[in-house]
Amino acid sequence: MGISDAGPRRGPGSAAGQAPGAGLEALLGGVARGDQAAFEAVCACAAATVFGVVRSVVRDPFQAQEVAQEVLLEVWRCASRFQPGRGSAMAWVTTIAHRRAIDRVRAEQRSAGRQLRAFSHQVAYDEVAEAVEARLDRDRVRRCLGSLTELQRESVTLAYYGGYTFREVAGLLGVPEGTVKTRMRDGLIRLRDCLGAE
Amino acid sequence: MRWRRPEPHTLAGAYVMDAVAGADRARFERHLARCQACARELRGLREATARLAGAVAADPPAAVVERALAAAARTRQLPPVTGQAAARRTRRAGRAGGAGRAPVPERGWRALLPGLSLALAAALLAAAAASGVVALRAEHRLGQAELRDQAIAQVLNAPDAVMLTARVHSGGTVTVVMSRRDRSLVVTTAGLPPLTSGRCYQLWLMGPGGDRSAGMLPAPHRGMTSPVIATGLAAGDWVGLTVEPEGGSPRPTSRPVLMLSLAA
Repeated sequence: MGISDAGPRRGPGSAAGQAPGAGLEALLGGVARGDQAAFEAVCACAAATVFGVVRSVVRDPFQAQEVAQEVLLEVWRCASRFQPGRGSAMAWVTTIAHRRAIDRVRAEQRSAGRQLRAFSHQVAYDEVAEAVEARLDRDRVRRCLGSLTELQRESVTLAYYGGYTFREVAGLLGVPEGTVKTRMRDGLIRLRDCLGAE
Repeated sequence: MRWRRPEPHTLAGAYVMDAVAGADRARFERHLARCQACARELRGLREATARLAGAVAADPPAAVVERALAAAARTRQLPPVTGQAAARRTRRAGRAGGAGRAPVPERGWRALLPGLSLALAAALLAAAAASGVVALRAEHRLGQAELRDQAIAQVLNAPDAVMLTARVHSGGTVTVVMSRRDRSLVVTTAGLPPLTSGRCYQLWLMGPGGDRSAGMLPAPHRGMTSPVIATGLAAGDWVGLTVEPEGGSPRPTSRPVLMLSLAA
């Protein structure tokens, strides 16, 4: 299920290698002023990234569609809150997307099945890693992830793509919580530097 | 494994990946509010997570974007944050729209139930929606019921919405989502003991201004009651729950099975 072939169909914001979303900032300014055409362009830019990250956390494709749609609407609603000086537009959008996905997952856990999660713990990392592996079509990110230590990579992958808390990740990996915490930070710092994402 | 004083900023990585929940999250956000260096670091780490997101990009079905566009056309946008409002910004708004900003510190019981609030509010909203009570679609604007549903949705979506839950003495739990801005709160319950016929649960706002009825709890559906909204919230109010004769009482006639403080 490689999606590297999905490349050409993706919006301009996903152009490989570049910091995604250049131009997205200006578009968000238009959205903040109620410009629906700008919003349409933002969707064209960001929908694939939003859907991708949401799906990776939520897993269920139908719920992922629902959440992705909510995220896009949230972008419309909150566009005036985006401040260009505080980070890139794409980071703003993906932060909303990831949080919404996490909210969905955690609300479900609470209502439905903690035990189900506990029971799936052993398979969790392999499963997440496999799914992500299959979809990591961005060579650079993959290469940078590959430059992390195994524990950093596992911690980052389980937290970001898997939607687990750092305490859960510690439990999954059988590593002290303090260690996981620092590995997540070190891992992300290394990723940031490797990607030149600043 | 608790991180107490030493180096709370080591949680920065977990935090930008939304991997910090509950009390951990509140503690970290309190730290953040005072830590300029952290804010800078978070910004950089968020850019890294954006790249992680981009790496798994996948086109959604076209209907997703179409529905978002249609919904946008009928959804009012938030105004920009002005200086004053920025100081009052709450986490909800921060989470929704303020990536990269230092959050406002949490106070009082909010700090005791942090992080839970959004997820639970979402669950509450989902439960309310499932029970058919909250019409989430903005285009419904007719009639009393819709107006009330809209008021409920407004509280649940208020930028300062906070949530608290409490056990009821006689069994079950009460969940309250409160917006001081709207001077309103929304109450649902789960697992309250059934009452003998002719008796009902009545909700109260109790405070310096006296006890005011906030209405009767509706009959439970699968153990949960659909949301009830109470308006006119005043400083110093508590939420009370009593058992009253059917139809309700002008003032409480029995010992409350719940007294929940709303004080920060």
